[in-house]
Amino acid sequence: MYILVLFLPLLSAIISGLFGRKVGTKGVGIITSSCIVISTIISCCIFYETTLNFSSTYIRLWKWFDSELLITYFGLQFDSLTSTMLIVITGVSALVHIYSTGYMAGDPHIPRFMSYLSLFTFLMIVLVTSDNYVQLFIGWEGVGLCSYLLINFWLTRIKANKAAMKAMLINRVGDIGLVLAMLMIFKEFGGLDFSTIYSLLTSSVVNKENITIICILLFWGAVGKSAQLGLHTWLPDAMEGPTPVSALIHAATMVTAGVFLIIRSGPLFECSPFALTIVTFLGALTAFFAATIGVVQNDLKKVVAYSTCSQLGYMVMICGLSNYSTSLFHLMNHAFFKALLFLSAGSVIHAVSDEQDMRKMGGLIRTIPFTYTMILIGSLSLMGFPYLTGFYSKDLILELTYDRYYIAFAYWLGSFSALLTAFYSVRLIYLTFITNTNSKKEVYMKVHEPSLNITIPLVLLAFGSIGVGYWAKEIILSNVVTPVVTNGVKMVPLLFSLLGGLLAFVIYDSSMAYTGWWFNWNRSVVIRLCHSGYTFLNSAWQFNYIINHFIVKNIWKFGHLVTYRVIDRGLLEIIGPRGISDVLIKLTQKISNLQSGVVFNYALIMIVFSTLFISGALGA
Amino acid sequence: MYYEYLTVGIGLFILGVSGIVLNRSNLIIMLMSIELMLLAISFTMTLFSVVIDNLIGQIFTIMILTVAAAESAIGLAILVAYYRVRGPIAIKSLNLLRG
Repeated sequence: MYILVLFLPLLSAIISGLFGRKVGTKGVGIITSSCIVISTIISCCIFYETTLNFSSTYIRLWKWFDSELLITYFGLQFDSLTSTMLIVITGVSALVHIYSTGYMAGDPHIPRFMSYLSLFTFLMIVLVTSDNYVQLFIGWEGVGLCSYLLINFWLTRIKANKAAMKAMLINRVGDIGLVLAMLMIFKEFGGLDFSTIYSLLTSSVVNKENITIICILLFWGAVGKSAQLGLHTWLPDAMEGPTPVSALIHAATMVTAGVFLIIRSGPLFECSPFALTIVTFLGALTAFFAATIGVVQNDLKKVVAYSTCSQLGYMVMICGLSNYSTSLFHLMNHAFFKALLFLSAGSVIHAVSDEQDMRKMGGLIRTIPFTYTMILIGSLSLMGFPYLTGFYSKDLILELTYDRYYIAFAYWLGSFSALLTAFYSVRLIYLTFITNTNSKKEVYMKVHEPSLNITIPLVLLAFGSIGVGYWAKEIILSNVVTPVVTNGVKMVPLLFSLLGGLLAFVIYDSSMAYTGWWFNWNRSVVIRLCHSGYTFLNSAWQFNYIINHFIVKNIWKFGHLVTYRVIDRGLLEIIGPRGISDVLIKLTQKISNLQSGVVFNYALIMIVFSTLFISGALGA
Repeated sequence: MYYEYLTVGIGLFILGVSGIVLNRSNLIIMLMSIELMLLAISFTMTLFSVVIDNLIGQIFTIMILTVAAAESAIGLAILVAYYRVRGPIAIKSLNLLRG
């Protein structure tokens, strides 16, 4: 059973990838979905056995690397962290599989799509179930690869190609950190199994400074995968892929791999307060940064993408405060409501003839009330509305952050991003559903609720978004000591959220008289200031510009000018083949010029050399 | 004794050599210079055969004279043949075979 959860998605990927032509479009949908659903049921059983019954399971499959120094096994480790992640991955993946059969209907390459989705699920399961860093790295690279394939699913689009390459390359930047961390771990501990490492941590042989370096390198890896500040730019661009892909990869599973890595390496991080501070710092900054950008995005999916980035910031931040189970809890809850948000956004996009710009929507509440309800549930959950899933994890995160007085700024950044989160969630709902419509008539006339394949996963995810926080909090948060804070502090995030929502409502309400100045920018100097601020936020704090102009372009220039033109085509050629041949040719030409064809020159040369010869012979 | 005559031989030889090297116009002067060099050699040979009292030098001298005669005959024949083909026989124009 434990191995089956791993290999069912692989089986489904193989069937739909290699035999998709024979199975047919519909058959592929049924086979892959049922495989993943069975995998979900199995992972629920695993959750029951390992978490509820406290019986962690280790399975050692076969030997992999076997050198004198390093022995690595293929091993599976099922503990409470893994089983929780398994439920999230397989659950969301199964719903996305079912959703895709409806959303992608009519696409000519459905078998390929389903195969990639299943392969992604398989590799993600490999990532979470591994019992050592090497095997984790297979999954880590594999999900990056699948992310490339899926973003680039519509491979004829140049933007999709570019976004996929960007995702792949920026992820590689982070992966270097993970590889270096693995090397350091091997140097320090002599093994890469989690059990070996964590049992050695308590001994006095390990060097604390090296552990700090290991932690920072691991965090570097997590920054790449989880789109933290600095390496976050791939995540919004990854929205070029189909919407189910965004829901599966860039909301629920792949980006959580970085957080998973931090949680898994928690014992290491515990040994290094410095690394923990960095983690908190960057997490809080990411949460705030992404939230400010989400406020002004006009693309429906990009708003949700930046909110993902922001929520990942929360997860990383709380990891830095050593509350790993809270982070896991938020990860789980976030997977549900973010998948719901993305899939509903897909439903909206589907309804308005593939239009993604929120400014060209509006008034959809009357035509697709079901999708509206789903987005409302998801958004309220994301805002941390009381009694919904988000409330249980998000407010707890903020309380726990407040508890650590020495890092108070993280609390305020987090709270303020809660305000912004509420703002952009309400803004999204308002612009898409409530305000007067801006879409063309022929588009608006064709708006319809999606098919049953799409609605059923949405309903299930909506149940998850409402209830998971409440159901799972006793199980996952059993070891969290709720901090003692005043009721005022407890109220702050909630009040901030309500305030943010209200603010969005006020600003975007078309019945209000001053809506005009918010939209028609160019009226006065003050508004011009607003405009520059808007541009700054809309272009994501100019991060792409800075990275492209100061890093990427310089590297390109270096590559072309220095390594290509100066070294490869310059120095090496002059020293090497071309230079030598040139010199030889010129030399021989000069020597053969001695034979001028004129007799008296020959005579002179003969005499000169016979004189030299004779004088040399005499001298000797 | 008689060593001082060696200077004559060497002087004649150098004259012949410089006649070949410095002369850029006339092919016949070149042939004459070669004759001069051979004569200088013959002279030196004779001188040494007297000095060391050995006949072989004089035998060689006779042979060199024969060779020189044959050589100038063949050289003049080549010259005439060349003149028939090319016309003027300046050495400067003798540069068809370049390296």
